[in-house]
Amino acid sequence: MRLFLLLALGVWPLEAQSVLHACAAMTQDYVVGAKLKPSGLFRRTGPGAWRHTGFNHPFLFGAAADPFDPSTLYLAGGNGLIRAAAHGEKWTILTGSDITELRDLWMDPGARNTIYIAHTAGIRVTRNGGKTWRELSAGLRRKYTEAVRGDARNPSVILAGGEEGIFRSEDRGGSWRLAGAAGFQIMRIEQSPHEPCFWLAATQQGGLFASRDCGASFENVGSVGAGSNLYDIAFDPVRPDRVALAGCGPGVLVSGDGGKSWEARNAGLPGAEVTSVVFDPERPGRMFAAVHEKAVYRSEDAGAAWTRDGLDGSHVNRLWFVREGRR
Amino acid sequence: MRCAIAFLAAAAAAGAAEQPGFEQRVRSVIEAHAHPRRGEPGYGTIAARLWLREDAAWCSERLEQLLAAGPSGDMFWMFPVTAIAHLDRGQLTPGARKALREAWRTYFPYRGDTENHWLLYYTMLYLMTELYPNDGPETWYTGKPSAENREEARRWIESWIRLTTRRGQGEYDSPHYASMFLIPMAYLSAWSSDPGLKRRASMMIEYLMADYAAENLDGTFVGAQSRVYDRQLLEKSANVANDFGWAWFGLGRPSSDPPSGYLLYYLLAHSEPPPEILRLIATDRSRPYTHYERKRTRNRWRFHDELHGPVYKTTYVRREYAVSSDQGGVLQPIQQHSWDVTWSVPEGRGVQNTFFTLNPHSSLRELQTYFVFSPDFGLTDVVRSKRFYDSPDKFSGGSPYEKIVQDQDTVIALYGVPEEARFPHINGFFSKDLAEIREDASGWIFMRGGDALIACRPFQPYVWKPIAGGGKRLFSPYRNNGVVVQAAAASEFRDLAAFAEAVKALPLEIGLEPLPWADFRSLRGSRIEFRYGQVPKVNGVALDYGKWPLFGGPFLESAVDSQVLTMRHGGLRRVLDFRK
Repeated sequence: MRLFLLLALGVWPLEAQSVLHACAAMTQDYVVGAKLKPSGLFRRTGPGAWRHTGFNHPFLFGAAADPFDPSTLYLAGGNGLIRAAAHGEKWTILTGSDITELRDLWMDPGARNTIYIAHTAGIRVTRNGGKTWRELSAGLRRKYTEAVRGDARNPSVILAGGEEGIFRSEDRGGSWRLAGAAGFQIMRIEQSPHEPCFWLAATQQGGLFASRDCGASFENVGSVGAGSNLYDIAFDPVRPDRVALAGCGPGVLVSGDGGKSWEARNAGLPGAEVTSVVFDPERPGRMFAAVHEKAVYRSEDAGAAWTRDGLDGSHVNRLWFVREGRR
Repeated sequence: MRCAIAFLAAAAAAGAAEQPGFEQRVRSVIEAHAHPRRGEPGYGTIAARLWLREDAAWCSERLEQLLAAGPSGDMFWMFPVTAIAHLDRGQLTPGARKALREAWRTYFPYRGDTENHWLLYYTMLYLMTELYPNDGPETWYTGKPSAENREEARRWIESWIRLTTRRGQGEYDSPHYASMFLIPMAYLSAWSSDPGLKRRASMMIEYLMADYAAENLDGTFVGAQSRVYDRQLLEKSANVANDFGWAWFGLGRPSSDPPSGYLLYYLLAHSEPPPEILRLIATDRSRPYTHYERKRTRNRWRFHDELHGPVYKTTYVRREYAVSSDQGGVLQPIQQHSWDVTWSVPEGRGVQNTFFTLNPHSSLRELQTYFVFSPDFGLTDVVRSKRFYDSPDKFSGGSPYEKIVQDQDTVIALYGVPEEARFPHINGFFSKDLAEIREDASGWIFMRGGDALIACRPFQPYVWKPIAGGGKRLFSPYRNNGVVVQAAAASEFRDLAAFAEAVKALPLEIGLEPLPWADFRSLRGSRIEFRYGQVPKVNGVALDYGKWPLFGGPFLESAVDSQVLTMRHGGLRRVLDFRK
């Protein structure tokens, strides 16, 4: 009966498919205490159509689907880490009063219920789905952490991006050493799904940093994004050599040669203040990009041209696909 | 209507020598909100009528209407409805009560990013879970059961009390936001079922009241402040704190008619008069005194090794005026106020009774220190609600390039603004309500505000620029700069000219290179030596910030980390000991 209802509503696909989600906010006129337009988690239901899912919340920064149960999403939010079960509908706050303003999260694909979170005063991990937490930032001089990722092949290796650069731990956060981008605020860190030793890190003002030694060290990638702020990195899940960046100033940058050269792909976008970018894993060449307080835009040709695709007026912190349905 | 008239009578009387009594003031506020003269009645009217035990049927109906429209406002929604829930006392219909309870499942308030937000948020969550102690996780927006919500909230509230009584408030001495700390403490003292928390909340009310009492002038919360709004920075009596000063001690007038809803909610939970010793501290201005306080910065997420930094405050108070300062720097984001002279204006509405200077400063670094703003949008986001933040003409905000020392009623502010600063100049606020302003050939500017005489010696040339609404702005476009300010009471001199002669006779040396400095013998006989970036000396002795008390002065004493506040006045003594 329940399944029938879900099918009738068109909410839950019978066949596996990847569904685009957004952590977005309509906060143009919002200050704490003001009326908030629908903000938080959005699910794309069709061309230009999005459905607000779960509670209204002004600040969701990071997100991931549970690798063992993709109907359960995890959201790094202002109020803490949120488990959003039932495809984002049913929320539970998993953290308490000792941390706030979460920035990012990473779920270990090899260990059920293991979640790393980056927050304003450090990095934490839970190995039991949020029942208990362990702080991992004791070895960091400055605690503020904007990005956290683990090595998908080797979960002992954790990379964290803070206000002083990229830090690497080889003992699951027990100790840290600087791995690159010293002195720069890190905005995002991503590992290539095709080439696990290839990592990219986006920074505030410092441009793009790359690692080709499995995250052991990061080097600046020429002048890509330097002097502006890069917010997002997207590896094309279909074409191993294709990578995209989102930034304010550069807009959307796409590389077709694994990050060696970059080309601006902003034709059709209303501005170059791009905060998130993502490739569609099921439609080669299709991309989505979020332009600050304008809308989400869709491209069918890897950014050569763009058309508006909903969430008008929003600020999007994260665009991400969730693989749903039969596995 | 009868009740609204009662408030009007009380408010009118407030300006006269004879104030209505405490109970009458309390009653008039509650009556006025219960029967508003304007606008649609909201949660405040419901809460006030429930307190009065009036119109229960209307309260239920109106509550259901408001909730059906959809809650908004985060913690500023939580505290009105928590009051309603606790003032219900069997008056609401089951339907209204159910609707209110249901809202705590369906509405997800943001916890906010400041100390007052969190205290409101957690106190309200705590008190609501006390009403429904055994409810399951599916009944709360948090997804946690009552016991877990309550314990999380209790721990944070207790940690805030502990931190505040050891290291000072982070969002300190705000003439607007002070009320947001008083409301939760009033609620807990009235409605918590935990005797320990109830007692500590009661003590915190006195603690916060004492903090205000020692630093008020005619009900106005004077001094260096963590957060103040632009209009209220200049028109001091327009602050919410004035409502509390009027209600507690009969000082001045409320900021508005009727007084703010913040006072209402406080009084609905806590309508006892202040202890006599606090009334005396708040009203006795028979002798000048210097009062010291240590506070702390807000959470500094970035660019600092310590989460909180110290704030060292000095406040000189006498009947005619007050002078107050912190040590300078960006101690709070956006709305900091670092120093001023405020003169007494018993009838303060519309009067801009203050003088100060500042380096207008705005920066992404400031915002990213205290918030998680993204680098490209933080400034724009702030300016949307605080439109002066990024203005070169602004009068609010701290600056990393301002260093301050104060001794009694003398202030020296030095400015070492780097070339790359967004606004490399100095603003000085010269109120439309200054009775006289004289620019002297010596370089001093002399002025009179109320019964305060003020002398200001800018280090560098300046021009005057008009201020919309009146008054003028001193604009000095020199990066190495400073002012020496000396105040005195009009009763101490024959007239402004005599004051000017006395100040001009005081030994003063100033310099600008490589960074500004001053060496001044004050009107009170202190020699103040101050070099930008160095610890100031008073009478040859460097200030020892390490010994700065949490509270120190004739009325209040508390050592850092002690968790004990001792109040004194004449033969009276009262101790708040939070260790027990």
